[in-house]
Amino acid sequence: MKFFRALKALLDSQYALMLEYRVEIALWAVSGLLPLIMLGIWVEVDSSNFVELSNEQITRYFLSAFVVRQFTAVWVMVSFEEDTLEGRIAPFLLQPIIPFWRYFTSHVAEQITRIPIVLLMLIVFFIFLPDTFWIPSLLHILLSLLSIILAFWVRFLIHWCFSMLCFWNERASSIERLLLIPYIFLSGLVAPLNVFPNSVKSIAMFTPYPYLLAFPAQLLSGEKVNIINGFAMLIIWGIIFLCISLFAWNKGLKHYSAMGA
Amino acid sequence: MSIITARSLTKTFLVSTKKPGIRGTLRHFFARSFSRVEAVDCVEFDIEPGEIVGFIGPNGAGKTTTLKMLCGLIHPSYGQALVDGDIPHLRHSSFLKKITFVMGQKQQLIWDLPPLDSFKVNAAVYGLTDLEARKRIHELANMLDIDDELKRPVRKLSLGQRMKAELMASLLHRPSVLFLDEPTLGLDVNAQIRIREFLSDYNKKFKATILLTSHYMADITSLSRRVILIHKGKIFYDGDLKKLTESLSPSRSVNIEFHNIYPRQELEQYGIIEEYQNSYVRFLIPREKLSLSLTSILNRFSVKDLEVTDLPIELLISELFKHGKTQNVNIGS
Amino acid sequence: MKDKIITTLKILFSFWKTSIAIDMEYRLNFFVEIVSVIGNLSGSIFVLSLLFGPNTTLGGWSWNDSLIILGLYTILDGFTTSILQPNLSRIVRHVQNGTLDFVLLKPFKSQLWLSLRVISPWGIPAVISGFILIAYSLAVNSRMIQSEMILLGSLMLLSSLIILYSLWFLLSTLSIWFVKVWNTTEVLRSTLVAGRYPVSAYPNFLRIIFTFVLPIAFLTTVPAEAILGGVSNVYFIGSLVFSIFLFTSSILFWRFALRYYTSASS
Repeated sequence: MKFFRALKALLDSQYALMLEYRVEIALWAVSGLLPLIMLGIWVEVDSSNFVELSNEQITRYFLSAFVVRQFTAVWVMVSFEEDTLEGRIAPFLLQPIIPFWRYFTSHVAEQITRIPIVLLMLIVFFIFLPDTFWIPSLLHILLSLLSIILAFWVRFLIHWCFSMLCFWNERASSIERLLLIPYIFLSGLVAPLNVFPNSVKSIAMFTPYPYLLAFPAQLLSGEKVNIINGFAMLIIWGIIFLCISLFAWNKGLKHYSAMGA
Repeated sequence: MSIITARSLTKTFLVSTKKPGIRGTLRHFFARSFSRVEAVDCVEFDIEPGEIVGFIGPNGAGKTTTLKMLCGLIHPSYGQALVDGDIPHLRHSSFLKKITFVMGQKQQLIWDLPPLDSFKVNAAVYGLTDLEARKRIHELANMLDIDDELKRPVRKLSLGQRMKAELMASLLHRPSVLFLDEPTLGLDVNAQIRIREFLSDYNKKFKATILLTSHYMADITSLSRRVILIHKGKIFYDGDLKKLTESLSPSRSVNIEFHNIYPRQELEQYGIIEEYQNSYVRFLIPREKLSLSLTSILNRFSVKDLEVTDLPIELLISELFKHGKTQNVNIGS
Repeated sequence: MKDKIITTLKILFSFWKTSIAIDMEYRLNFFVEIVSVIGNLSGSIFVLSLLFGPNTTLGGWSWNDSLIILGLYTILDGFTTSILQPNLSRIVRHVQNGTLDFVLLKPFKSQLWLSLRVISPWGIPAVISGFILIAYSLAVNSRMIQSEMILLGSLMLLSSLIILYSLWFLLSTLSIWFVKVWNTTEVLRSTLVAGRYPVSAYPNFLRIIFTFVLPIAFLTTVPAEAILGGVSNVYFIGSLVFSIFLFTSSILFWRFALRYYTSASS
């Protein structure tokens, strides 16, 4: 119970902080335009002979991908590196709640701040292209909401695991660039998974990436998708990275205290 | 010919004000209310070449803003500054080569590299030849008593060593006008003294003009004879430090240890008794009555030990700012 | 005049020596950059192949010709990593910490200082692989490479570098008023991704935006056309005018902004 009270207090303070940064967050939300740019190019491609998606479906898919990406944004590596570099991590470690929750709540608070911004962007989009407007069914909305939460959790854990490298190398956040590459190309951010060649698609489906973006986006856009498989994969990857992160945290902490930093 | 003149120098900032809470945030977002703050208000002074002048005033008094206008970092809203014949904010490179600005809370040295690497960059920027640069580095290092530390990355240096290296980087081009903003901030007493001695040496050796602000009165008392007091953007004293002290405290403090215990009533005629502990008594005696009172005390009582002191200047000045008794300091200026 | 340029170059050279010394401290970055260039390039080629599908053209561009666009994009990306990112992202921090004071007090053009103070070697892999991709595509096409095309292409590439720099610098200048504009350059960078593909592959209204508002067309498509010998006079002159206009604006805007600089005290 005490833990949840602490969590709520953290969330409240982080939310107040994020409100201070609302302009930056708005700009950051705008910088997530990639799916909409890809939407433009995919709609224009003469794809009738090789994509079994109609233009309407493509539009819905990329719009959904845009929304999913907004609410699964993760930047924990950058702030963790900054905190270790500037020595802020030491006082965090003295507090009776592990720093994980501090970063986690700051992400959640940022996403709450994002909600009105993303809504506004969608409204602008639909004003310019009113034909594309649609309302997903309640079931689809709920399912995709659940999948977005899970996808965020998994992505956060992946980045958290790699953040632990900061305990060993002070500039570890450059690794983030590498994490981003398979995410961009395999998650369905730049092309719907249906157009992937079968060989590439089957490899991609074994990685966590399609479930971090394409799966929630497909749910939201109302495409047919294997729901059980998707959720199962999210849960499995979540457990795997939870184990790794617990292990990495303990290792990192030991290393950190041995260095006497 | 004065080297620095300030005429009606004024800087006004527009500051947006926000009430706390969500409602305040929203109002702030849509209809921002601004208020004008006169950071520096019609400041005027002249400084002669080779002078060391201390700026005194509480936080936010406008000392730093004045310095920044004098070195050309910010444009004055009104009025004019002239430094060695140049208008600072045009920032002509001939002007920039004559001045330097040292800030205790900011640093220009490259964090990950030894100070010597930063010096090289500065030497190149100021157009020094390698030989000149080496000579000056050596000379300054001697004056500051620093040597091997210059080969260590800046992040590994202590605060005092870092400040010395900062000073070296700022003085490599041998400026004749130095603006120093809190140059001893956060340093321990030894390092403070070291820096003060260095500045005094530099002033004598190169006939440099120095303007400095400091929270440590000791910096000012030991370096400058002339002080400028600023409060809320306005100058209210400009002149001799000693005269300021005298006018601020018309009395001196006299501590006497007697051989015997004398009744309080007997002693009260010589001055105000601040402290009365058996044989130890502390008086406050007006300056003009001082010699007379002391002679009669020494004649009448048997005195073991006697000490006459001024009240500490920190105390006097902080009292002054607290009460805003600006009208009391109209002498001298 | 000549002396002045030589001393300026000398100073810049001494800057770069120190900055490369710092970069070499972080060897992990070298590995990261190589892997990320290879990964990004193969990913982009993969997506391009998806966009083509069984078709032979994309917005009127053949496969080989669109590789030239991708090559140019990669070169610009390397330029960003080597020069724009390390220098211009620092402006925001300079303003935030008040260390811009030191830059302004140096007898050296502040815009030049802020734009070329450091140079990072980590963009070189991208620049090299971009050129290789262009050379490969020209070779496969077995086009006659004429010196005229090379000249025009280089001129257009130069013009696109200037456009990119000026846009970035203009946005960074905003930090004088709004301290934390780190994210505006991020918006710029994310929209530039559109430059991986020919502008003609986008719907009409995006094409207009990418030509007149965010000049992505001038960044990759026009230089590629120039290399292939198919650039129209209008775009050729447009690119030059645009780059000169933006560059001049960046200088004037910076001068204007400095009047409002208040220099943070803490």
